[in-house]
Amino acid sequence: MNTLACWAGSFTPRVSLTPDTLLLEIGSCLRLLGGLEKIVAGARAGIQAQNFTVQLAAAPTPMAAQWLAQAGTGALSLDASTLRRHLEALPIAVLPSKAVASLTRFGAITLADARKLPAAALARRIGVDSLQFMARAFGETPDPRADFAFPDQFALSLQLPASVETAAGLLFAARRLTSALAGWLAARQAGVREITLRLLHSQEETQLVLQFADLTADNERFECVLRERLERMSLRAPVESLRLEAGKAAFRPDRNRLLFDDAHAGQDAIGALLERLTARLGNEQVYRLTLHDDHRPECATQRATLFEKAPRNEPKTWPRPLWLLDRPESLAEVDGRPYRHGHLVLLAGPERIESGWWDGGESGDNATGDVRRDYFIALSSNSCWLWIYRECRAPGGWFLQGFFS
Amino acid sequence: MDATASLGEILARPDVWRGDRLASSAIPAVSSGFAQLDDELPGGGWPRGTLTEILSDSVGLGECSLLMPALSQMSEEGTWSILVAPPHLLHGPAWVSRGIDLARLAVVSPKRQRDALWAAEQALASGALGTVVCWTTHTDARQVRRLQVAVAGSNTLAFLFRPVRENAESSAATLRLLLSAGSNGTLGVNLFKRRGPPCTRTLYLDVSRPAKWREKHESTVARTPPALPAARSPRAIVLA
Repeated sequence: MNTLACWAGSFTPRVSLTPDTLLLEIGSCLRLLGGLEKIVAGARAGIQAQNFTVQLAAAPTPMAAQWLAQAGTGALSLDASTLRRHLEALPIAVLPSKAVASLTRFGAITLADARKLPAAALARRIGVDSLQFMARAFGETPDPRADFAFPDQFALSLQLPASVETAAGLLFAARRLTSALAGWLAARQAGVREITLRLLHSQEETQLVLQFADLTADNERFECVLRERLERMSLRAPVESLRLEAGKAAFRPDRNRLLFDDAHAGQDAIGALLERLTARLGNEQVYRLTLHDDHRPECATQRATLFEKAPRNEPKTWPRPLWLLDRPESLAEVDGRPYRHGHLVLLAGPERIESGWWDGGESGDNATGDVRRDYFIALSSNSCWLWIYRECRAPGGWFLQGFFS
Repeated sequence: MDATASLGEILARPDVWRGDRLASSAIPAVSSGFAQLDDELPGGGWPRGTLTEILSDSVGLGECSLLMPALSQMSEEGTWSILVAPPHLLHGPAWVSRGIDLARLAVVSPKRQRDALWAAEQALASGALGTVVCWTTHTDARQVRRLQVAVAGSNTLAFLFRPVRENAESSAATLRLLLSAGSNGTLGVNLFKRRGPPCTRTLYLDVSRPAKWREKHESTVARTPPALPAARSPRAIVLA
């Protein structure tokens, strides 16, 4: 029930729970969500997606909604007169069993029959409680309900009815948790950048950390990233239960659902795309660049994941190639000139780059280390513009490092 | 259907083009930054929402500089760009100095070409990006068609780099270019497929170059500078 209560947060922040009924206060958000039909359709779709079976009903009073749903009428009433009609047609079975027994003796079948009986006699026969319930249902006395308290930290577990081995099965089960998370976030007007799904096997557990490009509360994005990850991994053992934990939830400002949808749609689509690419290919293959203040070309660009904030970059003015080689390629020297499929023509240079004395020595392979190079812009025999340098330190030699493409 | 509203109106539709003139497009094109090229491109610039194929074998011809004005314009408009399977590492400072905002540039370098095409297709289909550039070493007509279908109708500029040997293959791309080296440091562009009459001449564009062009025979001027101590060079020993 807690799962469903959290999920309901995507409709309204006021949710209350009884042992077998979930009540959503939707009167105050009818307009926001586009009317009763839309809400009911949305709720039905959401519940179906999570593979629950429920009876839905809507009414101006919580008691009436509860009864109408329990009786399986599926009645939707917004005003008092329809409510009265729907309620009066209800069988007396919605009342406590003691009341039902004595009312049956009167020959009453529906609530309408029961309400025709004189109130004083009725109270004596069926008890004040039942009479109170009826009054609340018909909206004659107030019916305050305790709000469901959304938990401060989101962490929900789900015991799977049978152990699951397929990605599709896991995704299906996890949908209950992710939609609960989406609801929980919506109720708090918050979003997350990271969620953790733990797959509990009988002995061990697998932990999946899902990252998002920006704060999100969108169940579709949760599911999309989760699908990519689940399809890519191989399960070590059948999964017995799932546990979903949300990372730090932060307030998402100006995310008014209808008013500003367009402005955010593009940004959200990019976020969703980058998440999908990252989920499938991994952080090493999908990245963005940041500049690092270093004169050595191979150290001037660094990779950053898409989930970090990128700093602003100031443009530099001297000519630099767009492409750099992974490692400088050693060039032959023929007649005192660098050679690569023919003699290279030096068009500009030299530009001395000498830096990095602090780096290297002890650290080994990856460090670029101390460099002293003379750079030239060169033209190859097939008219390609190259960036080459001559190593000034022993053993010297020419190297190709980049392309002005 | 109204029969009188026929031919003239139909011909005026942006999605109808006649073979003897350049097609226009409902989605405004993005200027390539080269007036000479814009004149020959249908719509007056790089088309959006359709695939542009660039065939080139050499790196360093100026193939990226050809796209740079458009890329930087898209970057200025605040849209995201994504580079899929670039042939080498990106040298960040150079991209920044050409007007690219690294904060809105994503790079995807997958290990397998299959993943590259998948990523490109996803990027094109999302429709949310300003520019998508993808480099491939081999693609077939079916894969190109998939990319063309993915980008169709969006606002995205889509470029696909392919090797020159694939020029004879049929392609779903509506615009196809063949690059070559021009004289005096220019870049030769041959529009061998476009929506409009065939363009028979090769355009020579002054793409941005890091240094002044110098004829090869003058290269003695830029000869190896006074040698620096380099242990293995005999000349260095003489000077030492």
